[in-house]
Amino acid sequence: MNRRRNLYAALFFLAPAIISVIVLRLWPALVAVHYSLLAPRATSYSFENYTYIFGDPVFRNSLWITLIYSIIVNPLQIAAALGLALLMNNRLPTTGFWRTLILLPVAIPQSVSAVIWAVAFRPDGLINAVLAPFGIGPQPFLTSPDQALACIILMVSWVGVGYWMTFLIAGLQDIPKSLYEAVTIDGANRWQRFRYVTLPQLRRPLTFVLVADTVANFLVFAPVQILTKGGPQGSTNLIMNEVYTRAFLQGDRGSASAATVVLVLLVLIVVLVQFRLMNDSGEQSR
Amino acid sequence: MNMSARRSFQMVLIVTFGLLFVFPLYWVCISAFRPEDDIFRYLSPLRIWTFLPNRVTFDNIVTLWMSPFARAIFNSIFVAVATVAGGLVVCAMAAFALAVIEFPGRSLVFTVMIVSFLIPFDAIAVPLYNVMRGFGLQNTYLGLILPGIGNGLTVFLLRQFFLGLPKDLREAGLVDGMGYFQIFWRIYLPLSVPALISAGLIMFIFQWQAYLWPLLIAPRTDLKVAAVAIAQFSSAYDVSFGVIFAGAMFVSLIPMIILVVFQQYFTSSVASTGGKE
Repeated sequence: MNRRRNLYAALFFLAPAIISVIVLRLWPALVAVHYSLLAPRATSYSFENYTYIFGDPVFRNSLWITLIYSIIVNPLQIAAALGLALLMNNRLPTTGFWRTLILLPVAIPQSVSAVIWAVAFRPDGLINAVLAPFGIGPQPFLTSPDQALACIILMVSWVGVGYWMTFLIAGLQDIPKSLYEAVTIDGANRWQRFRYVTLPQLRRPLTFVLVADTVANFLVFAPVQILTKGGPQGSTNLIMNEVYTRAFLQGDRGSASAATVVLVLLVLIVVLVQFRLMNDSGEQSR
Repeated sequence: MNMSARRSFQMVLIVTFGLLFVFPLYWVCISAFRPEDDIFRYLSPLRIWTFLPNRVTFDNIVTLWMSPFARAIFNSIFVAVATVAGGLVVCAMAAFALAVIEFPGRSLVFTVMIVSFLIPFDAIAVPLYNVMRGFGLQNTYLGLILPGIGNGLTVFLLRQFFLGLPKDLREAGLVDGMGYFQIFWRIYLPLSVPALISAGLIMFIFQWQAYLWPLLIAPRTDLKVAAVAIAQFSSAYDVSFGVIFAGAMFVSLIPMIILVVFQQYFTSSVASTGGKE
């Protein structure tokens, strides 16, 4: 009786969320799998769309660019966030204010940040103006295949670093003071305290930030669409832009669906790791 | 280096980085109040007028608010607030069931729900667009709002919070003859206001940021949200930079003010999802 009552109550409370999961996530995912397996004029399922996209240099380039981008942007942002967290984790007056300033860009829509940076990256824009006194001549930035991806990395880092810094500051504040006192008595210098106390103690927040940052950076779209549209010469064609181009500019539903399935599978792997990290820490903190 | 020299050096670094991060925003704000001719005129070489406007005008602001932008700001606020309201109901109820009620298959439901919601819905935007269009939700507020109401971080956060409340609360409620709904409504929710604010903040910022989804589902002019409207301003030839900057300023200021006001809740949500030991 009690078990049945619990089950009915649980169903009642979970119903809206379960319906949302099914309608907003699982069903569209199934739809994508369905269309990805249905070749343009085929009457039965096949892997034609997958062999097509993996044979297509544009799609392969997009995967490659996404990989390079991820390998650069994630460590870079985490290193910057860690540096800032160490710098900002103190009781000096007004530090809280400066911390807030660094966090602010995360609240702004990425599309708006992209519009701001698009103007800043213009040949006659803010960044060339700031570089000029250092003897650096006008740079092409977004119109150069060698610089465009770096520009996007700079922009998304401006947006994201403060956010990840906040996680690491929370982690730093969790480290027991006694650990530092213990190694200081043993004669450890600054670097040794960082290497043997801070880094090992920060392992979990650092891993979490790495995983969550990877998920976030995987789906960067607005900056690409607004700043470069994937160009020049495909040098910024990150995977989300590639899926968008296939689906809405080329109207190729089959290959867009196949690309979506590949994208979801890649994200799913990272999200499963993120979930394990969140859940482990949840179990421990109880 | 002695202690106070080191302190001063650290403070200099802190201020430098703070200013670097805020400088693009500052530049947006001063440009919004400048006549069109001045925005690029004083950039190079750098001088005092690069950083301070020597002529101030409100023309950009007036032009902005006379344009369809006013409607876009309204749309953004409405969609974000509706998402927070709907999302809190859906996520808090789910979190309550997953934290308080014991039923078979609970951990499986929890895993599937959090993992599916953690996948950013941009990833499935293309097939979701087909599904939603099938329901006739293209160019509707409902189409804009719905995908934001299921949020994995929110369910996770609220469940963590509910788990932290004493189990005796539930038992006492059951002994008093309360149903689960009353326990949820009269005991758990009133005790969870800080967690609900954190969760609402996450969903507000998330929905305010949305770009790809509104671009797809609501292309009609009167349903455009601000994040999309600004981007389309920037590629229109008849809109001046001053007006774009004025728009960027307003779209940024609203979430920034909310973030600053509720920062403590934001920080506590970070602490409880961020993999603490």
